[in-house]
This record gives sequence, C-alpha cells and structure tokens, in this order.
Amino acid sequence: MATMVARRIDWTGIVFAVVLTLLIVFPLIVVGTWAFTNVWRYPSVIPQEFGLRFWNQTLARADVWSSISTSLILATTVTGLSALICLPAAYAFARLEFPGRNILFFSFLAGHAFPKFGLLVAIAGIFLQLNLIGTFWGVVLIQLVGTLLFMIWIPVAAFQAVDRRMEEAARDVGASPFRVFWSITLPQAGPTIAAAILLSFVGTFYETEGAWLIGAPQVRTLPVLMISFINNQPVIQYGAVLSVILWVPSFIALMFARRVVNSGSFARGFGG
Amino acid sequence: MTTETAGALAPAPQSSRRPIGLLLVAVPVLLVLWLIVWPIIAAVIQTVWISTPGGREFSLETYRFFFSDGYSLSNLSITLWTTGVCAILLLLVCLPIALYLRFSDSKVAAYVQGLAIFPMFVPSIILSFAFIRVLGPNGTVDLLLNAMSLSKIRSPYLTPWGPVIGLVWDNIPLTVLILLSGLGAVSNQSIEAARDVGAGRFAVLWHIILPRITNSILVAISFAVLGIFSAFTLPYVLGPAAPEMMGPFMQRTFRELLDPTTAITQAVITFGFCIVFGLFYVRSVAKNRAA
Repeated sequence: MATMVARRIDWTGIVFAVVLTLLIVFPLIVVGTWAFTNVWRYPSVIPQEFGLRFWNQTLARADVWSSISTSLILATTVTGLSALICLPAAYAFARLEFPGRNILFFSFLAGHAFPKFGLLVAIAGIFLQLNLIGTFWGVVLIQLVGTLLFMIWIPVAAFQAVDRRMEEAARDVGASPFRVFWSITLPQAGPTIAAAILLSFVGTFYETEGAWLIGAPQVRTLPVLMISFINNQPVIQYGAVLSVILWVPSFIALMFARRVVNSGSFARGFGG
Repeated sequence: MTTETAGALAPAPQSSRRPIGLLLVAVPVLLVLWLIVWPIIAAVIQTVWISTPGGREFSLETYRFFFSDGYSLSNLSITLWTTGVCAILLLLVCLPIALYLRFSDSKVAAYVQGLAIFPMFVPSIILSFAFIRVLGPNGTVDLLLNAMSLSKIRSPYLTPWGPVIGLVWDNIPLTVLILLSGLGAVSNQSIEAARDVGAGRFAVLWHIILPRITNSILVAISFAVLGIFSAFTLPYVLGPAAPEMMGPFMQRTFRELLDPTTAITQAVITFGFCIVFGLFYVRSVAKNRAA
C-alpha cells in the first residue's frame, strides 16, 4: 500500500507525524513550559514571565523531599530484593532440570490473567489481616510481586542465549564452575539482565496503584504526592515542577531501552 | 537444558541436582502462590462464606447487594462503557498507524514509530497532569481558542470522556507494537499477488491482511481490556466523582468506607467480567514464549 506512496512524498506519514506530534508531544511541552513559568495568567497564550522561582519553592517543600527519598528507597529495596530472588531462579529455569519446571515457569503469568487493580484489592484483603496496610513492607511486597514476571522471563532468555561451547571450553581447561559463571556466563548475559533491572527499577518508581491502595497516606511516594498535588494544590507550577523531576528516571530508561522496545521480541513478550 | 551444562552451576552427582533447581525457584514461586493465587481463592471464599450470627455459612448476599444496588450497577455500566469505547478507539487509532509502519520504509515512518511508542515512557500520573493543563478549564486549548476569538471547549475533564482520552493515550504503544508484530506475519508476496489479480486497497485489507492478524487484534484487545477495566489512576484523577469506574470505586470502598468484604466482592466481579480476556491473553503469551 504505502510502499507505492513512499517513492514520492510520504503524505500519509507526514499526516501521522503531525497529528501524533500534536497529540503526544504537545501536552508534555505544555507541562514543561509551566515548570519554568513564574507568571502565566489567562488569557495570555504565552507566559507573562519565565523563571525558576517555583523550582526553589517546590524544592523547599519538606513533603517533596521526603517522598523523593521514600520513592528511591522503595524502588531500590524492591529492585534489590527482586534481583536477589529472581536471578538465581532465572538461572535455574534456564539451566537446571527439575520437576514441574514448565508449569512453575508459566505460573508467573498468573497475575496477568486478572485485572490488576482487582487483584490488588484482593491482596489488600490479605494484608488487612496481617496489619500490613499503611506500612513500608506492605508496599515493598505488593511492588515486588509486580516485578517477578519481568525479572524472571527476561534473564531466562539472557541465560539461554549464552554460548554453551565457550562455557564447556573453559571447563575443559580446568576453570571452576564459579569461575565459568563469573568470566563467561555473566558478561554475556549481563547487558540484558541490566536492562531487566533498570526496567524493574523504573517500573517500581512509577508504581502508583499499589502504593496508593496499600501505602497512602503513611507511605507517600512521588506519584502518590503527585495525585494529591493534582487534587488539592491550587499552585499549578508545583505539579509541573514535580512532573519534570518525576520524569527523569523515565528519560534514562528511554535512552537505554529504545533498542529493546523496538525489537520484535519485546512485543512477543506481551503476546503480540 | 541438557544436564551436562546444568553441571556448570552444580557439579554434584545427578541425583542431588533436582532439589537444587527447585530450591532456587522456591522463593519467587511461593510469592506467586501467597500473593496472587491465594488472594484470589481467599477473595472468592471470603465473599461467599460469610459470618452470620449463627457462625459462617454459604451466602451470595454481597453479590445480590451489588447487582441490586443502583449505584454499584451504574459504576459497573460506566466501566463497561469506558472499556468498550476505549477498545474501539484504540483499534481505530492503532490499526492505521501499524499498517502504515508495516508498509512504509521512509524516514518519516521511524519518527512516527518513535512517537507511537513514546507514551510508554510517560507515567500515567504525568499524563493526567498534562491532560488537565491542556484540556482542563482555562487550559491551553481554551487559550488558543480564545486567542482566535472562538468559544471555549466543553472540557472533558471530570466527565466520562476524560478517562477515555487518557486511557487511549496510555495504551497506544503496546497496542501498536502487538499489531505491528502480527502484521510482520503478513508477507509482501501475498499482497502483491492479490493486487496482481486486481484487488483494491480495501479488498487487500479486508481479505488478505485482516484474516491474518485476527489473533493479534484479539490479543491487543484482551491486553487493553484487562488494563482498562480496573484502571485506577486515570479514572480517579480525570473521571467524574459519580458514577465512578470500578478501580476508584473499589479503592474508595476499601480505604474510605472501610468495607473490605464489599470491596473484595467488587474485585471478584471484575475478575468475572475479564476472565475470558485474561485466559485468552495468558494463553497467547504462553504460546509465544514456548514457541
């Protein structure tokens, strides 16, 4: 179809590009503009005064700093625990034979057969009996469950892609199993595993629903603070500045993950 | 998966290898059992096995209440409406984008693909804020209309259309990726052959392309339905206070009305409405992964 058109000027593409730019990039530019605005009163199309005044004011707020540190500690704890329990499991799934290997491997899909927030409410019912509502570890647990699938399936693929002949060659010349793992297996699987860890950190950092249902108001992460800014904060710039700060991890992920996301295997992981 | 390479980790005699593998996967598997499988079973038990003055007994009272309560039913119907409208809009928006990306190799196509995937890197809470600044009262659209001396829009903020716009925006990337991955299976030869015998664009789309990507379309819809039916953040921030979608409704029942049994009943009802999509989605992912 479009192959015919593409030889000439790609009008279809230009229409898509313009419409998508308006719908996807433009709203974010508006937020970015608000963050660097001192005065913008209706009905001026552009702000009356640009400036960094609200950066100082936002960064002077105690609730902003406490939620930044809560979010970072939470995301680090969850990602660390997830790596600790999932990477050995991924290695076992990729390399060891044990009873029930297949069914256990696919058991991580269980959570994806249900609407997510309904599942969170069901988990919250369990947490209520365990007094985990409103606690740091309650939020850690609920976010940890959300990382399991990614942190096992992606590293399994990475371990399976390692060239076995190199490992065998190293063992033939007398390398210990640990040495083989450290010098041969890990360097080859490392980049993909690092991408999985980055994805799970960023995903946890932005996780809003579990943190809001289980943690709020005692455990206040950045997205949770952002919800209360949207609902109750009349000063628009606070939310805009927070949005820009909040977007930084995503920007880093964007830099690293573009290749992974554009490859077909990523879409296949979602069943495409 | 030969046992020889398994020895790279555990150079133990063959008989002792089995427990090691199970031991390594035990913690994540137990977490799935404790925090996914058990809550679902417990949710069903807790809502049909209710404590009464005379001890616990089987009763469908909480479900009877839900399906006879006008407010609960209007929340359910706004959820069904939002999910349906979003699914249709997503197909109408994403199918043309995916078709264009599949059959174009121009430089513009790379830019379009980048844009279509970009929302994946915008957390929905930032999207909500951007939505309010652009489409909310006195937002950027109002500013521009006012500058052109036109009247303001009727803002979709806090109406049922607010969550619809936000959810469609949020779901564009994965829908496009899933459809694009399905379109990869449509060969150029089959299309050229059809064109050689005189098929028009629409005929090619209808008879050649669509039948081959039916499965991908169903997967994309299932994924979107599972995400949208119990969406929380976007409906909570952008939607009307009443009727509310199931996500905010469950949250409010649980945390503000402090009525976990009713909230869990609502959760089980969302499971029921999504079970077909969920099973189909999981089956497709598993099939893909096993292949």
